[in-house]
Amino acid sequence: MTLKADTIGRSPIPLTLTRRGFVKMGGTLFVSLAFPAQFSARAAQNQTSLDPTLIASWLEIRHDNTILMRTGRTETGTGMSGYYAQAIAEELNVRPEAISLLMGDTDKTPDGGYSAGFLYGMYNVRKVAAYAYQALLGLAATRLGVAVASLTVTDGIASGGGKSISYGQLVEGQQLDLKIPVTGKPARMERGEVEGLDGLTVSGDPPMKPVSQYRVIGTSFPVPGIPDKVTGKTQWSCDVALPGMLHARMVRPPTLGSTLVSVGEVDKKQFPTAEVVSKGNLVAVVSSNEWEAISAAIFVAVRTKWTDWSGLPGSENLTKALRAYKWSAPAESRGKAADVTAALAGAARTISATYEQPYVRHAPIGPFVALADVRSDGSVTVWTHSAQSQGLRAQIANTLSTPVEKVVVRWLEHSGQYGRTTLGGDGAEGDAVVLSQLTGKPVRVQWTLQEDLAWSTVSPGWVSDIKAGLDAHGRISAVHSAFYSPSGDIRLLGAILAGMPCCTVKPGGWVATEWPYDKIQDRLEEAYGMPKLGANSVSGGLRGNIMRTPGQRQQNFALEGLMNEAAASVGADPIQFRIAHTSEPRLMDVLKATAKAAGWEPRPSPHQAATRTGNNAVTGRGVCIMVRQNAYWVGIAEVAIIPATGALQVIKFTIGVDCGKIINPRQLDRCMKSGVVMGLSEALKEEVTFDTGKVTSTNWTRYKILTMEETPEIRVVQISRDDKGFGGGSEAANAIVPPAVAGAFFDATGVHARRIPLTPAYVTTLLKG
Amino acid sequence: MASALTLSVNGAKQVVTATPETPLLFVLRNDLKLTGPRLGCGMAQCGACSVLLDGEEVRSCITPVSYAVGKRVTTIEGLPAIWAEEKGLSPADADKTLHPVQQAWIDEQVPQCGYCQSGMMIAAVELLAKNPNPTVAQIKDAFTNKPPSPHLCRCGTYAAIIDAVQRAAKAMKA
Repeated sequence: MTLKADTIGRSPIPLTLTRRGFVKMGGTLFVSLAFPAQFSARAAQNQTSLDPTLIASWLEIRHDNTILMRTGRTETGTGMSGYYAQAIAEELNVRPEAISLLMGDTDKTPDGGYSAGFLYGMYNVRKVAAYAYQALLGLAATRLGVAVASLTVTDGIASGGGKSISYGQLVEGQQLDLKIPVTGKPARMERGEVEGLDGLTVSGDPPMKPVSQYRVIGTSFPVPGIPDKVTGKTQWSCDVALPGMLHARMVRPPTLGSTLVSVGEVDKKQFPTAEVVSKGNLVAVVSSNEWEAISAAIFVAVRTKWTDWSGLPGSENLTKALRAYKWSAPAESRGKAADVTAALAGAARTISATYEQPYVRHAPIGPFVALADVRSDGSVTVWTHSAQSQGLRAQIANTLSTPVEKVVVRWLEHSGQYGRTTLGGDGAEGDAVVLSQLTGKPVRVQWTLQEDLAWSTVSPGWVSDIKAGLDAHGRISAVHSAFYSPSGDIRLLGAILAGMPCCTVKPGGWVATEWPYDKIQDRLEEAYGMPKLGANSVSGGLRGNIMRTPGQRQQNFALEGLMNEAAASVGADPIQFRIAHTSEPRLMDVLKATAKAAGWEPRPSPHQAATRTGNNAVTGRGVCIMVRQNAYWVGIAEVAIIPATGALQVIKFTIGVDCGKIINPRQLDRCMKSGVVMGLSEALKEEVTFDTGKVTSTNWTRYKILTMEETPEIRVVQISRDDKGFGGGSEAANAIVPPAVAGAFFDATGVHARRIPLTPAYVTTLLKG
Repeated sequence: MASALTLSVNGAKQVVTATPETPLLFVLRNDLKLTGPRLGCGMAQCGACSVLLDGEEVRSCITPVSYAVGKRVTTIEGLPAIWAEEKGLSPADADKTLHPVQQAWIDEQVPQCGYCQSGMMIAAVELLAKNPNPTVAQIKDAFTNKPPSPHLCRCGTYAAIIDAVQRAAKAMKA
């Protein structure tokens, strides 16, 4: 990795200890004594956040030429830490192995923000690296007595005039003290709501390395945390233990609306160290011994009395319940209603359909866990795997009525979240702070799987009415979609049940589609929100939340389903039909490349051998596309169905993406394949079931997810472009699966599948007609 | 009543105090600080807690600690030593050699969140001991249909696991 400083494309920022030029550009530079950051498992006392305008808050260059970067964003399992290391290394001209990351601790990271992908997450660290690079060039030029323009930097060693010096030597015993421009406000409670979840933004315009000179981005740099995960060295959030810590297991109400009548007592002979702790409707058993806490909680649960409650429609009546709600104006609307109405009225013909999906959920393998240490002096430390440490911190401070400065949230890796904590909501953290406050001891709350599948937030069920007008040439001239779904709730469950202060929640909804078909000029997209099912219960009912590729995953199922139906209605090949409705070359290119990889031969659906009866397998293929965050996605599914039994197997799935400049091809391949697995799981199996009082899909035999045996051959197509910036590549693969599978189902059977999951029972019902 | 139990874990003798019905998982994690096995479902439905007991995969979340007395318990932390013993590696070589299954998990970049992967690697070690050259269908079968339940991964790393098992199989024959 060698880069000549004068090829960056802009003059480097001039640097001396009091550089007016740099101040004008938003910074100052000097070096001062370093105070190395160190990890401590001790409870933090009144620690304040780092000053985000100081580069030393973000970046620390060590004497051995390794670099620590601090960011509030976290690794979510998609390889984000590897992408960050690559982006930082690229701007600093160091090897990515030299980068280590400190992520998510509110007292040790400066920016906060979502852990929702590279596009949002890399923005700050990449700019910080670019600012620091300019500073380091200036320092090196001074030390080596040469002009900045004559410097070359290789692997963190600056050379010029026959001499060289490493970054580590440049700042040895000191640290960069460079002021950088930062905008935004940190996460906080404002008028009862959690604001500032997107965190702080590093602004200004430091020179960035041009793509043509990239050496690290575009390579399959190994994701840094993997060896430790494989050997058992990673410290997960479930592994943190404090002296004097109590293990807690929660005793939950039998329904979402039950209130506590009386708490069961613990048998001290059988469970000598166990204690029952309760506040409001929050009931738990704590013990210094985890197994005793578990056993005693079961003992107490059967002796605790609750009121009855029924206020849910039952999952089999979900569609009816959504239809029965009196929807008011859309929460968000895009497009011109009058134009669409006129276009639909003037269309040669129209087709319309209703798409729907039951509640599904994030369902990680590891249930929520959290450890809280609430001290009598008001200081609070929480160890979590939340993907939104600062938002969680603001909520905890609000619940405990303590200043936010007294709350520290420490992040560690754990089971995937898939979006369920991105907006600052909790799992076990609310329980843990309440119990720690009540007991005066550090409390570790481990949820059970049953609890997680019943009480964590869910991705709400939805119905979408969608209509297209076609012209005399068989082209779509207008689309109207109306998406209906209950809304979200990021309140802390522990706070809700304990009757402690919570943020407010309002019904809402949003249009998530990034419109892919520019040749369809008239479109109206509406998203309607309604209160949660069971909203009036003491627990808040079925609390909605975002889930991987949120909103767009659902709305794209309806839009792409409609595209497949429209193509079939005019006897067009579904890929040709899509190409006819776009002028975006990137979309056309990835469609063609993916079709080629899948061996797609143009023809209309359904297949001429399509049938809805019989004991023999019928096969079909289907396609869908999606545009999201500067990425163009294509999915092609091939299925085999036995009509008589309803058995549906996905035999092969081909997935293609153009996400601009690809950062790490191998990890992108991993994320695309695993995203397909998650999407297939949703397409074929997943449904949260509930009766009139409670969720009933509370173990892995009732909430079924895809197994290895059900995983088909998955082919991957990647298109990397140097001139289109970066796009979101690691999230959205799941969303392109259900419409492609539904399209393949239609191709095989001639029957449109407008609801998922396509379980054997539902397939049988569909085919019977 | 809690009593002293002697266990053999990753080649070392360990005396722990626990009630006999305490699941092995909590003894490994809380008493012996072996955090490789993790709590998933707590009812033998997912495989995140899997360990080897005399070379056989068991779900430590439902296996009473008393059942492990007199048997060799192996967690992922103990896999390198098993391999070193099998290959007769010198202590110096053993120190820097992972079990081929672990190495394959790194080389194929399998873990995403990684929470289920300890159990996946344990299942792979057991499979490869019984079938050194499994086909893709046999790998899928072992990770799905072997009682008591499928090994579940919510991140969806199944394709990577299949690649890694095949890579490990090659490495173990070399």
